[in-house]
Amino acid sequence: MPATDPRKHPRRVSRRVFLERAGWAGAGAAALASGIPIRRAGAQQVANYPDWIPASTKPPKRGGVLTRASQWDPPMIDPRLTQSVGTFQFVGLTSNRLVRYSFSDEAANPSDLNLRGDLAESWTASPDQRVWTFKLRPGVKWHNLPPVNGRELTSADIKYCFEAYAKEGVQTLTFQEIEAAETPDKYTVRVHLKTPNALFAHNLAEPIAVIFAKEVLEEDGDLKKRLIGTGPYMMKEHTRKVRVVLQRHPDYFDKGRPYIDEYIILSTPDAATRLAAFRTGQSDFIWLASPSEVETARKTNPNALVQSFHNTLAPWGLALAQDRPPYNDVRVRRAISMAIDRQKQVDTVFEGHGIPGWGVPYIYYQDKAPTLKELGPWWQYRPDEAKKLMAEAGQAKGFETTLFYYEYFPQMTSQVQLVQQDLKKNLNIDIKIQKLDYTTYYGRYVDSKWDGMSWGFQSGHAIGVDERTYQYLHSKSPKNFFRVNDPVIDQLTTKLRQTPDKAEQRALTKKVVEREFDQALRLWMPYDNGFLVFQPHLRNVAAGALRRTDGYGSPTLARAWMDK
Amino acid sequence: MQKYVIRRLLLAVPVLLLSSLIVFGLMRVMPGDALIALMGESGNVGQKELAKLRHDLGLDKPYHEQYLIWLWQLVSFQPGDSIFTNEPIVVSLGKAIPVTVELAALAMVIGLVIAVPIGVISATRQDKPADYIGRVVAVSGLSIPDFWLGTLVITFAAIWVHWIPPIGYVSFWESPTRNLQQFLLPAAVLGFRLSAATMRMTRSTVLETLREDYVRTAWAKGLAGRIVVYKHALKNALIPVVTIIGGQLGVLLAGTVVVEQIFALPGMGRLTVEAILYRDYPVVQTNVMLVATTLVTLNLLVDLTYAWLDPRIRYQ
Repeated sequence: MPATDPRKHPRRVSRRVFLERAGWAGAGAAALASGIPIRRAGAQQVANYPDWIPASTKPPKRGGVLTRASQWDPPMIDPRLTQSVGTFQFVGLTSNRLVRYSFSDEAANPSDLNLRGDLAESWTASPDQRVWTFKLRPGVKWHNLPPVNGRELTSADIKYCFEAYAKEGVQTLTFQEIEAAETPDKYTVRVHLKTPNALFAHNLAEPIAVIFAKEVLEEDGDLKKRLIGTGPYMMKEHTRKVRVVLQRHPDYFDKGRPYIDEYIILSTPDAATRLAAFRTGQSDFIWLASPSEVETARKTNPNALVQSFHNTLAPWGLALAQDRPPYNDVRVRRAISMAIDRQKQVDTVFEGHGIPGWGVPYIYYQDKAPTLKELGPWWQYRPDEAKKLMAEAGQAKGFETTLFYYEYFPQMTSQVQLVQQDLKKNLNIDIKIQKLDYTTYYGRYVDSKWDGMSWGFQSGHAIGVDERTYQYLHSKSPKNFFRVNDPVIDQLTTKLRQTPDKAEQRALTKKVVEREFDQALRLWMPYDNGFLVFQPHLRNVAAGALRRTDGYGSPTLARAWMDK
Repeated sequence: MQKYVIRRLLLAVPVLLLSSLIVFGLMRVMPGDALIALMGESGNVGQKELAKLRHDLGLDKPYHEQYLIWLWQLVSFQPGDSIFTNEPIVVSLGKAIPVTVELAALAMVIGLVIAVPIGVISATRQDKPADYIGRVVAVSGLSIPDFWLGTLVITFAAIWVHWIPPIGYVSFWESPTRNLQQFLLPAAVLGFRLSAATMRMTRSTVLETLREDYVRTAWAKGLAGRIVVYKHALKNALIPVVTIIGGQLGVLLAGTVVVEQIFALPGMGRLTVEAILYRDYPVVQTNVMLVATTLVTLNLLVDLTYAWLDPRIRYQ
């Protein structure tokens, strides 16, 4: 028996014990308050959610109002001047492209990246891949709104848009490739490219390459006030920071579609409010980042449909100023890569539901997502070998550097700090972190004159392989933010553009990726997979790879319907 | 009194000029500009194109010239257009101000409804359970941040009663019921925080007043407790409370930024935060000047209210 009976002489609580208990109590209360289960929903539960929701076999029902609480507010509606997801969460519904990717009721799985006609019925390329001919669908009507008043779309409209995109705005890179555009007849557009590009049609299928009404640009000087297209929905209202209301286009060329009468996007910047809106039925679908958030939502909405979204690439990675020392030495880049424990980030930051990180969508070169092991030797966590490489590169003592980033999502800060810890512990690289606001970060990053490190990105809208390879990796491309300057990559990405055969394209893409991994050109970081959660009455809403239904993949809602 | 008001108004001019210089300077010191933000993550931001746009918007002019142009626009009540949206700033403000004013007014009312009775009860039952409860409420109001309370309220409302305020702002004139549904919870969150300081001040001043000779005389005359407290003590106790309320206007405006974000209300807070993030210079500058002018005016009004509440106060 102890000398003093604790029941008779209650133990005095020391300051340290008090603080510790208070800390636990606070954390418990916070978790309780936010509805987050204290015990984490394990990764094993993730396996219960399918990565694809097949199209409904029932006959679709007409009518209903689809509502979504959205984190994004459109900065503006002019598709020439922005490629913000806030704008393209609905522009793909008011406007069409020449060609598009499969909608969810046409695709067999999320990786279906076959091109289909949108405004174009058919398209062909010349053998040298320089002349592209598009045959337009006859009878396509603009929205019945002034100044177009429902007139028929013609090839002149397409030519006008292409020329306007080339002239100014954020899509000049794609459209300045065009040497000349001809309109031999009302329904034919012939495009002559400056250089061969077998992937040109894919670039036109990007969600941002929409066709707008020339009369609006001519009358207003920009497209900031009116958005008139040929798409399944017409813009009924756009009140900044409040809502966007889309109304069914009765003369849409795809007869009988769309099925839903109205789509309302409610500007809701706060994540907790979006979740609350979903729980109370004010929002029909929501994006959730982690398994525990899904479990939380399903406690109040057990019948919700969940699609486990598997990313095919990581949009963010550690960018090094590789055009100057010490990062121009491949040994330093490889050492840094090997000193970072990516699996730890997946397990802790993303609760096991993440990818280790790569930049080119794997669906363009292999069928299954690569494992960490498959990324090659320099991507494994091997701190001892990393130290040796650093010593060989004359950097045994480490060095001081800076890393600037913008917190796109809260987990990113944890990732940045884990990288800082790993590099300090393993290579004695002392990183001073600078957390910046978006505009400062973006301005500095794209200026490409920064020193040290940055948490680099590639833009979110792109689906096509040309955008993900040539446009982000070629040394002469203005989108080469990671400052890659590798002659082998230049040669491979250029050749890829000239190769029409799909099997050869896959082989070439694989070579590009292998080269990138080997040279540690862009140090991709783990990324969240996430989930799309739908109210149980929604049909045909599944998200395809690289095109989330709530974002750039919104055009698929032209086929959605409500089973109630 | 007239001289005092004129002197205060004249003193407001350098204060506002200094504010305009500070906000103009800070916006120019911040790295990046609206055009960079405007172009988004495209990578196609050509330097030539940027230079042309900067020229079109007058952003390539020397700073002193830009400042004077803006100042002239401001005093002539034509603050220009947003760089980002092209919308006239007057129109943006016309949409945002009613939202923030409604939120702030409701929060103020709720804050006072909570604060004054609890403060009085706390004072009249000093060191009794009711007093302790009142003080705990006050300390909670001071220490719980708006963002936490707002998140908590909206989450629990969704889980327990399966209801949250309807998202998508509707004006009072369009639908009074829907509008009040949208505003009551955020105003309560903001009002709870506001009530804390007022509650503490009410308690302390009522306690002090209750010890005054004239209150003792009132008790000695055999007046009912309610009459003594509410008719004799409370009116005099409220003068410092008015000071507190005036001082809280800044806290209130800061609070609306967070609460508008959580409850998706398109007020001044969201407008300003978005403009700062996008470096929309004219919008930020105009909003800050509007807030500065409002604060200067309200402080003057609060000072003038003292004289009305307490006839012994004279301004010279």
